[in-house]
Amino acid sequence: MIETPQVAVLTGFGINCDLETMAVFEMAGARAHRVHVNQFLNGSADLEDYHILAVPGGFSFGDHLGSGRILGNRLRFGLREQVRAFVKSGRPVIGICNGFQVLVKMGLLPGDDEVSLQQSASLTLNDSGHYEDRWVTLEFNRDSPCIWTKGLERMRTPVRHGEGKFVTPSQELLDQLHSAGQLVCRYIDPNDQYPSAGDEALPYPLCPNASMRNIAGVCDPSGLVYGLMPHPEANHSQWLGATWTREGGQTDTDQTSPTNGHSGDITTAVAGQGEGMAMFRNAVEYVRNNL
Amino acid sequence: MAARVHTIEVLPKTGNGMIDSRGESIRRQLFGDHNLTITEIRSTLGYLVKGDLRPSELSRATTELFSDPIIEDCRANSTFTNSGYFPTEPDLTILIGFKPGVTDNRAQAALDGLHTLFPDKEGLAVATTIGYVFWGLPQDLDIDWLSNQLHNQMIERVSVSSEGNASLDFPERPPTEYQPPAPIDLEITDEELIELSQTGLLALNLKEMKAIQSHYRDPETQSIRKSHGIIPDAPTDVELECLAQTWSEHCSHKIFAAKIHHVDNQTGEDSTIDSLFKTHIMKPTFDIRESADWLLSLFHDNSGVIEWNEDWSLCMKVETHNSPSALDPFGGAITGIVGVNRDILGTGLGARPIANTDVFCFGPPDYDGDLPTGLFHPSRVFRGVHAGVRAGGNESGIPTVNGAMIFDHRYIGKPLVYCGTVGIMPRHLPDGRESHIKTPSPGNIIYMVGGKVGSDGIHGATFSSLELTEESPSSAVQIGDPITQKKMIDMLLEARDAGLIQVITDNGAGGLSSSVGEMAELTDGAELDLSTVPLKQPGLSPWEILVSESQERMTVGLREEDTAAFEALAQLHEVEATRVGKFTDDGTFLVKYGEQVVAHLPISFLYDGCPQLQLESEWSPPEHNPLITPDVGAIEMGEVLTRIMARPNVASKEWWVRSYDHEVIAQSVIKPFCGVNHDAPSDAAVIAPIIGEVQGAVISNGIVPRYSDIDTYAMVAASIDEALRNAVCVGVDLEKIAGLDNFCWCDPIESEKTPDGRYKLAQLVRANRALDEVCRAYRLPCISGKDSMKNDAIIEGEKISIPPTLLFSLLGNHHDVRYAVSSDFKTAGDLIYLLGESHQELGASELAFMFSEEAAANTDVADPTDPTDPTDPTDAADAADATNVPTTTTTTMTATTTTTTCGIGGAVPAIDAERNIVMYRALTAAMRERLVASAHDCSDGGLAVALAECCIGIDAGCAVDISTILSSDAELDHWGALFGESLGRIIVSIRPENQAGFEAAMAGNSTTSLGTVNHDNEHNFTITANGEAVLLSRVEELRSAWQGTLDGGRPE
Repeated sequence: MIETPQVAVLTGFGINCDLETMAVFEMAGARAHRVHVNQFLNGSADLEDYHILAVPGGFSFGDHLGSGRILGNRLRFGLREQVRAFVKSGRPVIGICNGFQVLVKMGLLPGDDEVSLQQSASLTLNDSGHYEDRWVTLEFNRDSPCIWTKGLERMRTPVRHGEGKFVTPSQELLDQLHSAGQLVCRYIDPNDQYPSAGDEALPYPLCPNASMRNIAGVCDPSGLVYGLMPHPEANHSQWLGATWTREGGQTDTDQTSPTNGHSGDITTAVAGQGEGMAMFRNAVEYVRNNL
Repeated sequence: MAARVHTIEVLPKTGNGMIDSRGESIRRQLFGDHNLTITEIRSTLGYLVKGDLRPSELSRATTELFSDPIIEDCRANSTFTNSGYFPTEPDLTILIGFKPGVTDNRAQAALDGLHTLFPDKEGLAVATTIGYVFWGLPQDLDIDWLSNQLHNQMIERVSVSSEGNASLDFPERPPTEYQPPAPIDLEITDEELIELSQTGLLALNLKEMKAIQSHYRDPETQSIRKSHGIIPDAPTDVELECLAQTWSEHCSHKIFAAKIHHVDNQTGEDSTIDSLFKTHIMKPTFDIRESADWLLSLFHDNSGVIEWNEDWSLCMKVETHNSPSALDPFGGAITGIVGVNRDILGTGLGARPIANTDVFCFGPPDYDGDLPTGLFHPSRVFRGVHAGVRAGGNESGIPTVNGAMIFDHRYIGKPLVYCGTVGIMPRHLPDGRESHIKTPSPGNIIYMVGGKVGSDGIHGATFSSLELTEESPSSAVQIGDPITQKKMIDMLLEARDAGLIQVITDNGAGGLSSSVGEMAELTDGAELDLSTVPLKQPGLSPWEILVSESQERMTVGLREEDTAAFEALAQLHEVEATRVGKFTDDGTFLVKYGEQVVAHLPISFLYDGCPQLQLESEWSPPEHNPLITPDVGAIEMGEVLTRIMARPNVASKEWWVRSYDHEVIAQSVIKPFCGVNHDAPSDAAVIAPIIGEVQGAVISNGIVPRYSDIDTYAMVAASIDEALRNAVCVGVDLEKIAGLDNFCWCDPIESEKTPDGRYKLAQLVRANRALDEVCRAYRLPCISGKDSMKNDAIIEGEKISIPPTLLFSLLGNHHDVRYAVSSDFKTAGDLIYLLGESHQELGASELAFMFSEEAAANTDVADPTDPTDPTDPTDAADAADATNVPTTTTTTMTATTTTTTCGIGGAVPAIDAERNIVMYRALTAAMRERLVASAHDCSDGGLAVALAECCIGIDAGCAVDISTILSSDAELDHWGALFGESLGRIIVSIRPENQAGFEAAMAGNSTTSLGTVNHDNEHNFTITANGEAVLLSRVEELRSAWQGTLDGGRPE
């Protein structure tokens, strides 16, 4: 069994959430390594040596030709076989925000069984027309094969993007993704009873970008590769929540108890850790138990 | 044969749940800003690709790079508007592209993308366009006007067609002709010296020109120069430009260093001040340092550095980028923010930027007065500056944690764009060196890192030392490139941690002449070879290479043995790094172009040769018409509050602030907004920069330029107190607070152009004295500062001067972020207190400005602060005097019969800093005992506005009784109590069970019980006095007014 999973956190070319993405994996019990895209491309680092790959948020190449497009191309053309072998060998991959955009544009998400790296969906400009940083509530699909979200019900995280509207060319593809459990998480109205996620379009700003079916994140058929627009890594500690000062959060770490009022929620199970940590703990556990 | 140019056009798909979001945004903006109704706007992104691409390659590039076939359609070598794509022909097409030589970041990304697809393809070039296609334009719409709303002639080209034929050529830069360095004859008359300075944009005065002249007359100078083979008795153009940059007001802060003769007609004082900076800024800070060993680096580096804990230091710098932002709001602002980020990277051996703050001063967004030609409408400046700062901060991955926006007519001529950045660096590097200390040695190799040098940004430093005119050069405008800079920051911080860097500084104003010159001061010499500097285009002349302010460049000094490792890191990160010279110790800044010596400047002359200015200052207090307040009932009083809530200075900026990423790097504890609906305004920002640790940093700002109309002393005192109050509200550690003073003034040197220079200088003197006295009392050392002294615009012969403005920024420690307090009321039934004393201080208050503006509008007299009023000396004062005539027309506001127009006159807030600091200490101590549920400072709009904001945070009301406040000061009336802006006041709420503990903790300080948080009444926002209602309103109404003014995306 692998006690300490090794995580490759991609950096370079305008990726800018690399440090906190490393930190959350370390908090979850893994060992994180910051690897420049070019180290993989020029062979001085080998994807094979890692158990988890994380593509963090940022503005790779300024997102000037569509978010994630150019970095997606660099990986798709430069690292195709390595990425395919990585996923085929059962190792988890996560893309957050710009990282999600990269995985979608390179065809790894929503993906297919063959990991053929053919783009089938996209992320486009928010209907609001502008970049926005605001907190949302996510609800997770209990029937998803996604290894990152096992047991999760709801989570509050910030979204920070201008191009987060998930779209597919057809409703049929969305239906197909839905029945395969690949629609992992959706934006919801936090005042609704759990479970609430439905297909009906939520108004802005509950759904901040007008994503089809309020989709916030998707996984590939294997459930190993997962991407989402919101930033769970930004909610790594209780005192980073949007309303933590209202929630009895003013307690010391060593006496912290779950305070967010989400019944049956495992996301604040670790003292002082924020709701977002559960995803990273899941992936670390998965590697420990399965690789 | 010229290479073929391929045109590629990309259009967002619509239908099936997709919309053209970019086109739709523009449509909403034109409606929101200009009330213009257009049926539909579509937007295209275009690429002009120059180079040999085979049809198959072009086709691949369109689907795999330029467009995303799932969401976009694409045309190669044809356009959507002339290919029958649209079911109905559009009314108009406007196509916009950059002028040659302007930074085009999207084109650079496209080129990177092409090289990914075709790694072996050489000689490709890309330019971009953006197109707008219109349907349903109003019949009488002026098309030129519309096109001017969408592009900036200074940096962009446009093609407009109603036939669908808009097109633009590839922006070919005319070849630059290399000019060999030439001697400049200074043996000319004084008039000719002045003319030379003016025509050459040198911004030097006669005394300075003559100092240069006499340097070259010195026989010793001449003989040394002869030995280096450089013209002995005249400067080269390279030398004169280098001196002009180094001696510019922008770089050498001559007004703050001047000898000032100060006369005060009020007190009879007649004294001399030898440097405001040394006397009133450095001295207090150094005195405080006697007992503050955590002040590590003050004034001399690119930012001030404090020790935060045993492992980490924090640093902070605030810059202004006003002049460029007036000419090109987007480019000026993005360059401003990425520029101040480089100040942090260039501090010590390099710090990591971790937080930005942005404070803007604009003309009113709804300004409907005359606008001199050559000036953008304030709403356009606002949008452009905001977009620039947004792109610069977000794309660099640096959170924007705090800021402010101020509106006044007089910022129409020059907006103020303050960009600040906080950085963090390890106390010690792995090799043991303290990271805040540069360690250069003679022989260190000089590298230029980052972008290349172009003709953009020539004369930025000297240009910003002059007032803005129609002739202001477009070359002073640039567009920042955050991605190039982000790559450079990643690379340089790795180089720092590997111990490779001996000295580092940024290339900002003055370019290499400043960066290498300043570092040469440390070793007493440097040698630079301009022929090795990588250029954006061939043919730049030596002087241009030396002073160009092309962006995203740092200058680094390395030991010879570290150069190979440094270059390898640069290659990994795809960052340009070029050896351009070395440090020496021979007392000379020697510049060569190949083998030819083009400049030989003694370091001592370059840095100490500029003669001190001698200036005259004379203070007489301005006179204003008094504020006239009407007699109104409680409901009307509620309506007054609603109107104040809606004033741009008070109104919510949420729509704008949310488009900044304030949470990247995951450290954001107190965010810009708080409360149950995340929409109430926070005070200071609190961050926890080291993940997993709970020690925090507090960042806040204070800015109240209104008070300058009466007294700049009050303006500065209020700004400092506001910054500190904000920090106190979140629980700052008062033992470790540091300040940054950032002055933006109108030209205070008496001259033909500035007949009121003495008064403006006296305003500066008073401002500095306030800074000195208040900072000493608060034990708040200034660790860094900046001044921008020429914020005037002369347009069509009219001078528009800004009100003297100080931004005071604060960086403090927080012992444990889990004890941080936010401003929102927490629970119904909580008890509300006002801390601090209230006095009848309504002079130049937000209320006074509102009433005087309303009165002026109703009586059809000149606006009290009309920016184009010819009677300049004390702007508002004289303008108000000019209207000091009996008004016979009836007014609705001035219900009492009066013969005087309502003005802004009255007592301005006085400061009792000694009293305030005692209360602040008691309050922060109570917070550490968890006795405080919320804390919010009273600032713009006073107690009433602050209470409303606290209520918005809980989405419920409050019942407040101000009887005790009224009885505390016999002169205080309802207006003063509710809307006065007395300093040192904070509203707190506490749980009822903490009442005894809290009151004990605050004993000895002015602590007034006001009432409770509740939400039951019809008027859920109720203020009473002595049993009678004084102000009745509803929180929903107040919120709606507060959020309605600046909701940038207003749908029709």
